[in-house]
Amino acid sequence: MSKKRRENETESGPVTPHVPVDRFGFLKQEHGNSPERFSKARSTSSTDHDREERKVRKWRKMIGVGGSDWKHYARRKPNVVKRRIRKGIPDCLRGLVWQLISGSRDLLLMNPGVYEQLVIYETSASELDIIRDISRTFPSHVFFQKRHGPGQRSLYNVLKAYSVYDRDVGYVQGMGFIAGLLLLYMSEEDAFWLLVALLKGAVHAPMEGLYHARLPLVQQYLFQLESLVRELIPKLGEHFTQEMINPSMYASQWFITVFSYSFPFPLALRIWDVFLSEGVKIVFKVGLALLRYCQDELVRLPFEKLIHALKNFPEDAMNPDTLLPLAYSIKKSVNEIMMESKGGKKNSSSSSLFYEAPLGYSIEDVRPNGGIKKFKSSVYSNCAKRPS
Amino acid sequence: MGSSSGQPEFDYLFKVLLIGDSGVGKSSLLLSFTSNTFDDLSPTIGVDFKVKYLTIGEKKLKLAIWDTAGQERFRTLTSSYYRGAQGIIMVYDVTRRDTFTNLSDIWAKEIDLYSTNQDCIKMLVGNKVDKESERAVTKKEGIDFAREYGCLFLECSAKTRVNVEQCFEELVLKILETPSLTAEGSSGGKKNIFKQNPAQTSSASSSYCCGS
Repeated sequence: MSKKRRENETESGPVTPHVPVDRFGFLKQEHGNSPERFSKARSTSSTDHDREERKVRKWRKMIGVGGSDWKHYARRKPNVVKRRIRKGIPDCLRGLVWQLISGSRDLLLMNPGVYEQLVIYETSASELDIIRDISRTFPSHVFFQKRHGPGQRSLYNVLKAYSVYDRDVGYVQGMGFIAGLLLLYMSEEDAFWLLVALLKGAVHAPMEGLYHARLPLVQQYLFQLESLVRELIPKLGEHFTQEMINPSMYASQWFITVFSYSFPFPLALRIWDVFLSEGVKIVFKVGLALLRYCQDELVRLPFEKLIHALKNFPEDAMNPDTLLPLAYSIKKSVNEIMMESKGGKKNSSSSSLFYEAPLGYSIEDVRPNGGIKKFKSSVYSNCAKRPS
Repeated sequence: MGSSSGQPEFDYLFKVLLIGDSGVGKSSLLLSFTSNTFDDLSPTIGVDFKVKYLTIGEKKLKLAIWDTAGQERFRTLTSSYYRGAQGIIMVYDVTRRDTFTNLSDIWAKEIDLYSTNQDCIKMLVGNKVDKESERAVTKKEGIDFAREYGCLFLECSAKTRVNVEQCFEELVLKILETPSLTAEGSSGGKKNIFKQNPAQTSSASSSYCCGS
């Protein structure tokens, strides 16, 4: 997948070949998404290099040629798979593995020609909104930097296709960061089906409620996050109450973009590895881990400095090798809260099932409403619907 | 920088809100005002917040400015931030007519619906005057709208910084002339201004409790 990317870039000529970029393709000396600050942590000595090679070999063996052994392996050794994913998927295999664990590969194979249809023949009410945001999405990444370049075109196509595929969602700001992140690891069509798998819930709870009118799932998650902070980090929860800080002031983007909006890219990728494998729980856990890690500092801050700090966590807190183990260690309450939300969801009018995959899931085992097949017919019925 | 010394660091604290369509330059305007810089910014997801200190005449002022996402879908998250604002800045893009027509269709209605301050000062700001050749809304139309809706009015450019400070200063001057607003914003009463708890009104929260 990433090979395809590189070909694209050379075809159209790199935008600014002399500008130094980091290993993920972000221009250096940029703040925000630049992972440069972590370069020390991953400076590749020869032992690191050997370790990485061994890791890739193990992974290749696990997934087989083109992912042929994956399902088998995941069913037989779910805990091995889970553990390895938590340590980080090798970057060169990330695109493929993401498609395997999200169930998007199956959707793609089941729906030949559908993406092309959506891109070429359909029109979307959101086209102008999408175009307006294209150049504002990862502008510091070489792939998306060039106006009307291959990156921006792909991003537009994926978002437009999705807005046609699911007119109830259409296009919502924030989706561009998710699509952009995916496009750095796979082709347009693959990225589109992964977006479908996520929003429609191929393996985990559907994300579409994050983007529906009135953002019902955002509201629910923010409410749950607030309870979790009070329960698990009571001192900070109390301080938030006193300072009148609520999660809508800092955490909406955590959920809406799954940490892809403003977090260092290496951290975002590691979160995405686990997010695709284990579901939204990891978003809560990472958020709670960040708050817990910084709580001694945070409880001392008055309102306005607190708000600033909650959107600008220190570098050491955002080192994936520090933060993720902390996130994994948060267990019980998040699961409980998520269980509660299942009950809550049933009362809502939404037709989508809110379910969580059991721990060692395999894609075939966990299927909403008769599994992935449900996506097959929905495409055209969605296309036929009038824009709302 | 000291957070809680006895001497108040300001005489008045005002809460100001920026609203308007996506891409009109709300965040850029705010960045231009608070940091004197201009940058291509990512779309705002949810809300953002910045503080700016101003001295007007003898008065030391602290502005707490909330910047909101412009896309329609986000209004559910942003609507609670109108509460308690002494000033609201409605921004449109002078090169995009739809962002101007949406002021009366959408944004003025949002203010009526969600603002809790009867005397709240409204300001209309036409941004991007640096793109004069692409202008799609005349200055006269802006003035007429402002007159009809009882707003202050300015055209500005977050990029060239033309009129950026004036936008906020004129708004603040008007707030200072309004006794009911200055009473709220005086440093004695700062707690209840600054710490409006905006989101999750009781009705919003309760709807998620019912399932458990």
